[in-house]
Amino acid sequence: MAKPKVAFFDFTCCEGCQIEFTNYGDPVFLELLNHVDVVEFREAMSEKTTEPIDVAFIEGSFSREADRPRLEEIRKRAKIVIAYGQCASTAGINALKNHTADYKKFVYGKDSEMPHLDSQKVLGIDKVIKVDYYAYGCPVNKYEVLQIVSHLLHGKEPVIPNYPVCVECKRQETICRYDVGDYCLGQTARAGCGAPCPADGIPCEACRGFVDKPNHDALVKVLSKRAGMPKGWAEDKSRMFTANQRGDAK
Amino acid sequence: MSFHFIKDQDFADFLTDLIRAKIVVGPVAKTSRQQEKFVFARLTRVQDLRLDYDVTILPPKKEFFPAKQDLLRFDGPRVKACLEPVEKVLFGVHFYDVKALDMTDALFKEKNEDRNYTAHREAATIVVSNIRKVFPRAFWASIGAEVKPRGHDAWLTQIVGGCVFETGTLKGEALLKFGRFSEASADQVAAARRANEDMGKQCLEQLKGTSASNAKKVRAAFGKEELWTKFAEDCFSCGSCNTVCPTCYCFDVQDWWNIDQKSGARTRTWDACLTEDFAKISLGAGAAENFREERAERFRHRFMRKAAYLNEKLGGPACVGCGRCSAACTADIADPTTVINSIPEA
Repeated sequence: MAKPKVAFFDFTCCEGCQIEFTNYGDPVFLELLNHVDVVEFREAMSEKTTEPIDVAFIEGSFSREADRPRLEEIRKRAKIVIAYGQCASTAGINALKNHTADYKKFVYGKDSEMPHLDSQKVLGIDKVIKVDYYAYGCPVNKYEVLQIVSHLLHGKEPVIPNYPVCVECKRQETICRYDVGDYCLGQTARAGCGAPCPADGIPCEACRGFVDKPNHDALVKVLSKRAGMPKGWAEDKSRMFTANQRGDAK
Repeated sequence: MSFHFIKDQDFADFLTDLIRAKIVVGPVAKTSRQQEKFVFARLTRVQDLRLDYDVTILPPKKEFFPAKQDLLRFDGPRVKACLEPVEKVLFGVHFYDVKALDMTDALFKEKNEDRNYTAHREAATIVVSNIRKVFPRAFWASIGAEVKPRGHDAWLTQIVGGCVFETGTLKGEALLKFGRFSEASADQVAAARRANEDMGKQCLEQLKGTSASNAKKVRAAFGKEELWTKFAEDCFSCGSCNTVCPTCYCFDVQDWWNIDQKSGARTRTWDACLTEDFAKISLGAGAAENFREERAERFRHRFMRKAAYLNEKLGGPACVGCGRCSAACTADIADPTTVINSIPEA
């Protein structure tokens, strides 16, 4: 069987998730190349392709109407499309922009009115094209990505958790942030990362977004009751990575 | 069954020798921001053993049924079972956790015996410690009193001047050779009995009713949808109550390939019936059905399982009153005493 052709594409993002793909170290990365044929990946090679591909990893959010034809063209060529990283999956941190009107002035100052800086409401790529699988996270969990690739190679559905980070904390007996007077978003955050942050004494910020059906009202209650956050703060707290998944998404 | 006594000054030597001779797992402290919690971990020195613990984050079940367990490993067409039980001593288990182990023992043995659990369990020697500090959320004194702990091999109770060590099995007897034990006097045995009984008075959270009356009223409340919706209003479906529970035994099985795409493992991982996808099943052709789609249904299911469904099989409720779920629930809605006490009599 010919090796599946794999290509990477990027839209509105920092390309950090693609960089993660170069962080496996030589033994793993070179072994991976025995199983997939990387045909476009601008972080690591200059070749590009206009040929059909088996798996398209698309990083970044949809933030400009002008990007629509390129997304549609990739979809047409790809057997499988994976939203690669939180920006592509839900627009992640980019979607914070949807809640402000004056960002251009603060970010770009006197150049703020230059036309190439125009952007629209930021969305995950599944609002434009069909997405087959999601590699969540800011950045992606590179080991989960390996497993997604591996499962696809074997014709198995990739295993992508839809349970909260609490499960992963409890499994490894991490002391709950709430038990030490801290806050945490782990109750509504999608697991799959292995919960390294609470294990290191840092609250979960939900960088993999919410689970499919987060109980956000309960989160606000617990953030104010147990973590002592003022109400407005508790209500806004989860927005950083989940702006497009909250009840007040624009 | 026989009663022995070891003096305080001889206890450290006993444990030190035991640790030298065997793999010994016991409660040790784990801290974050000066907050002290406890976990069962392998002991390398007697100073780490904390028999004054109130409860551990996870129950000792994890020693036989770990959160993640390889069932078999494969390399191309070659397949090998991973069953390599290791002899160990679980030292300092509280009696409620023994009751829970008795339940998982029965559940993993019924019908097709699950050797991936039972082989590990059989390789263990379990030493109970009397409870020296009561966890504030515990209610073991008022649940399933008719169910007595059975699966332990010895029971250590601290009294004035030392500990009474009651052996119940040959495995328990075999530990005597590691310490300077004398025969316990009738007074010492009586003192140990009182020490264990008196602790129950400090267990302040209380479940009302009997196992039978609670089973009956919980079952009868099945159809009261408004009640369960209210109970589950703040439920995150986070599965924390399941994951810390000593009697939960559900798991998910997946195959994972190594990077060579030839070798890999079939692994089971703890599952949790409160999480949204637990009851999601394939209908084929990409379609799926979730037969407990609403969080109130999942919340209710846990109470049915803990208070009613398994009672006949286990001789009592599938809850031992450790209080771990109550403490692990950040919304504080999981406490079985609060929920069951507030369900009206059938």
